[in-house]
Amino acid sequence: MPLDKKRILIAKPGLDGHDVGAKVIALALRDAGAEVIYTGLRRSPEHIVRIAVDEDVDMVGLSILSGSHKELVADVVSRLESEDAGDIKLFVGGTIPDEDHADLRDAGVSGVFTSEMKIETVIAEIERQLS
Amino acid sequence: MTAPRPRRRISRELTRIANAPVDSVLAEIGDSAPASRPRIGVTGPPGAGKSTLINTLAAHRIGANLCDTMAVLAIDPSSPVSGGSILGDRIRMDRIADLPGLFIRSLSSRGARNGLCDNIVDLLVALERHAFDEIVLETVGTGQSEVEVAELVDTTVLIVPPDAGDSVQTMKSGILEVADIIAVTKADMPGAARMAADIGTILRARGDWMPPVVETRGDGTGVPRLSDEIDRHRAWLAEARPHAVSNARRRRYHLRALIARQAEEALSGDRHLAEGALADAYEKLTRKLGVG
Repeated sequence: MPLDKKRILIAKPGLDGHDVGAKVIALALRDAGAEVIYTGLRRSPEHIVRIAVDEDVDMVGLSILSGSHKELVADVVSRLESEDAGDIKLFVGGTIPDEDHADLRDAGVSGVFTSEMKIETVIAEIERQLS
Repeated sequence: MTAPRPRRRISRELTRIANAPVDSVLAEIGDSAPASRPRIGVTGPPGAGKSTLINTLAAHRIGANLCDTMAVLAIDPSSPVSGGSILGDRIRMDRIADLPGLFIRSLSSRGARNGLCDNIVDLLVALERHAFDEIVLETVGTGQSEVEVAELVDTTVLIVPPDAGDSVQTMKSGILEVADIIAVTKADMPGAARMAADIGTILRARGDWMPPVVETRGDGTGVPRLSDEIDRHRAWLAEARPHAVSNARRRRYHLRALIARQAEEALSGDRHLAEGALADAYEKLTRKLGVG
């Protein structure tokens, strides 16, 4: 499988009340062969970065519906860097307006996935970046 | 470039060990040093509350200064179809996730069928080398026969939920015989006291150790007693079983696990190996492995 032995953290920072999208992505990644660590709801950036480091993941996927993606991403990126873990790839999914995509990429995000995208497209892009 | 911080160094080392094929285990990782840190195994059926119990147990033991540092290895099953996995044990470990002395690693069983995972022996030894005070090993959700965890740990805690019903009967020959302590979880649910009493009638002493039955709740009720029983068992074990005996058992497990993986690697690397008459296929396989 393309993502064999790849380790991916799917995390929900902030105050979102549900995690349907995060679970859909987690299952699709598992079906592509990945080992997916899932955190559950409402985790702080500090907590997410610690999990990413302890679990030695290849990629962190943040699922954010609340609108505070810019702040949360900036926080996670700076914490990853201060843990010498800036090489861990960061993806963001959820409710992200088009006009924010470029800013998120400038901030260090390798991929922005919205709910309109087909899941196959999302998985293919993750496979490409992690191969 | 600065040196990676210790947490990241440990975590990368664990990845390297988990991914090591048998040849590199033998060449690079090599002999498992005699275990020098107490190991607690937590096993039981799926949904019994293993992760929740570890959450409260670790919070108690670190909070009460029974240990300063603890490493948790939590294994979840891999998909037989894709080989991937969802490692969700952390969802229930929210109470302890920020404790500085705690290190949690989620592992995929990667096809192992004994409730454990590939290279688990080497992973445990690596954590011991990093001098964690205690190591907790959580198996995948198990049935009655996954008893091998007891060969790798000092104290095996079997988790039984109150609604396990007749399945306790089926554990009679199997995991109940190797458990050192039984925790009946979700003790606020009806049937927990009955379950604890039923198990008590089935249990047999091993030597002069009578496995205690402890009732626990998700909020931590009963966990201090469980923790005391773990310490009591550890003290008993120090008298009853020389460390060399434990090490010999672990060595035998290690060798069996390496052979099983070598066979798996050979079979998946050459699909013709399994063809032909059974005796011929066996001959080919053992020749390939250089045994027999």
